[in-house]
Amino acid sequence: MPSVPGRNRRLESVVSVLLLAVLLLIAVGVLIKQADSDMTRFGLDANSALYSEKTQTGLQEPPDLAALLPKGFKEFSPPETYEAANLYEKINGKAPLYLDAGFLNLFTQRFASQDDESLWMELYLFDMAALRNAFSVYSVQKRADVETLPDMQFAYKTTNALFLVHGRYYIELLGSDESPDLLAAMTDVADNVTSRLKVTKTAQIPELNLFPQENIIPGSIKLSLKDTFGFEDLTDTFSCHYKLNDQSITAFISRRPDARNAQLIAKSYSDFLIENGATNKTAGNEVLKNIGARVLDFYDTTEIIFTVGPFVGGIHEAEDQKAAEEQAVKLIDKLTESAKTQK
Amino acid sequence: MTEHNNNEVGRRQFLGRVTKAGVSIAAAGIIAAKLYDVQGPKPGVKAEDLVTLPDFSIPQENGRTISIVTGPDRTQTVGMAIELLGGIGRFVKEGQTVAIKPNVAFASPSKFGATANPDLVAELVRLCYGAGAKRVIVTDNPINDPASCFTLSGIGKAASQAGAKVILPRDHLFRHTTLTNGRLIRNWPIYFEPFEKVDRLIGVGPVKHHERSGASMTMKNWYGLLGGRRNVFHQDINTIIAELAMMVKPTLVILDGTEVMMTNGPTGGSLSDLKRKNTLIASTDMVAADSCGAGLLDLKVSDLAYLAKAAKAEAGTTDYESLKPKRAAVG
Repeated sequence: MPSVPGRNRRLESVVSVLLLAVLLLIAVGVLIKQADSDMTRFGLDANSALYSEKTQTGLQEPPDLAALLPKGFKEFSPPETYEAANLYEKINGKAPLYLDAGFLNLFTQRFASQDDESLWMELYLFDMAALRNAFSVYSVQKRADVETLPDMQFAYKTTNALFLVHGRYYIELLGSDESPDLLAAMTDVADNVTSRLKVTKTAQIPELNLFPQENIIPGSIKLSLKDTFGFEDLTDTFSCHYKLNDQSITAFISRRPDARNAQLIAKSYSDFLIENGATNKTAGNEVLKNIGARVLDFYDTTEIIFTVGPFVGGIHEAEDQKAAEEQAVKLIDKLTESAKTQK
Repeated sequence: MTEHNNNEVGRRQFLGRVTKAGVSIAAAGIIAAKLYDVQGPKPGVKAEDLVTLPDFSIPQENGRTISIVTGPDRTQTVGMAIELLGGIGRFVKEGQTVAIKPNVAFASPSKFGATANPDLVAELVRLCYGAGAKRVIVTDNPINDPASCFTLSGIGKAASQAGAKVILPRDHLFRHTTLTNGRLIRNWPIYFEPFEKVDRLIGVGPVKHHERSGASMTMKNWYGLLGGRRNVFHQDINTIIAELAMMVKPTLVILDGTEVMMTNGPTGGSLSDLKRKNTLIASTDMVAADSCGAGLLDLKVSDLAYLAKAAKAEAGTTDYESLKPKRAAVG
């Protein structure tokens, strides 16, 4: 090939390569940004399951809701199915609560009394992909001062509604009125759910057994999957309340992948509290001193943060430091005992 | 070789170049085919076709901007609350057409507190006709199926019996709008036509907890005017509520805190979510009304970020006490 006067082939090659590199960087940047977008917040992606007993996405086979009909009741509306993309059409502003917790599908239908159509209930069957996810949405919405149902692990009723967890399903039965007949029918539906809706029987939530039982407020355990106590890195955290004399104390635990990660999270949570106005205090209890627990004063309340193996644990916003430390030590003992048992 | 010979392309070289060119063209074609959007971009609504919701507000009067009435009977409290602001005649004139926009978001009985109360809506209809209104319409664009919402909430029947025309949303009733200085409401469909030719607009809704925004009161009630995939706005819910307060300029808002949904909103479902507060607020300043309503949820004004945003956008004031609310108790 002839060489054109004034043309620098080497320079042209270098410039070309540089231009291609810039274009490549732009393309990589666009791809990273796209991958970073959280479309589940818009209900546009069903692949958000935090825990899944088996890989499931999109629309599942709808269960036969009519098979759950209680005696003396009839179908009052056609069954409806919602996915992540349209869940907001049913529950609007509450949709993100479920989407963030691994929601797959919602199946709903109304049942009415054959004798009196003004007595009806609406069944909400949320498929949350896993027992943990179902327990999370159940626990964070749990009403206070309710009647728990015997023979069911997670179930309670109010004067017009019934709520329960069955395997990966979170179920709400909302009655049109306060009626003993309606509540009895709801209990029948709950029984039908537990006997007829197949779930993975082996699913367990081991953390529920890690809280000391003395003075615990029954049914107060909650599972917060993210942003616990306002700290975004404190995920998958169980908390519960204790009643000590006139005081209520909140204890929490979060299982991390390993002990090193637990220590990192404990430190970053402590740093987060200090950034937001907390100050260090001296632990009065020797056990807490020995394991290097952090004790903080947060606007006249006591925060305690510690690690035991892969667990981050602690006490949140306790009024009294002494009582908080005593409860923390009990939790440490329980976690230590559990770790030994597992070994 | 001579220079002339150097410029000639050999057969082998020619075939090589043709092959490379062919592969490049084929690759470009395949990529283009993969990226080709058969439907193409949806045609944007031209600027001249965008609509703006009319301004339904009335002149402010010192000391008659907000009233707070306590009592268990909504028909009594709403009558007194409006009376304290100057009476229904200040808001509705002879021969006018009035639109009442209740919160009918969900297909659930009104006793759950997720929707406006039918007795309250009916009383407002009667008050409007009593003031000489020519026509009163009651409408909303609910989250759930509209017919079910108006039926199960009891609002459809109550409003009809009081003489109102109940309008259910249909696609052709929506038009696109862009809010001046708005960040989210841009070329977005809104429920427009029922409001296009009315003279007055009254919003009425319950005080309730909301999972995303903290509370749903009179400002959030205008969410029912949004069409399209409005759930995308939940990502920035405080901004969208503030923008709704900028977009809608109602004549009057009624905030019903007779029974307040304290938790598990906006749907609720259990009567145990409700707490009786026996308070009803009427106001021509919905930021003030919602700021007052925050207290009914045991919240501070600063707990609801959208209030500060709306106040900053000059949609109203969060310092409702500065408006010297008129107070009364009935029943």
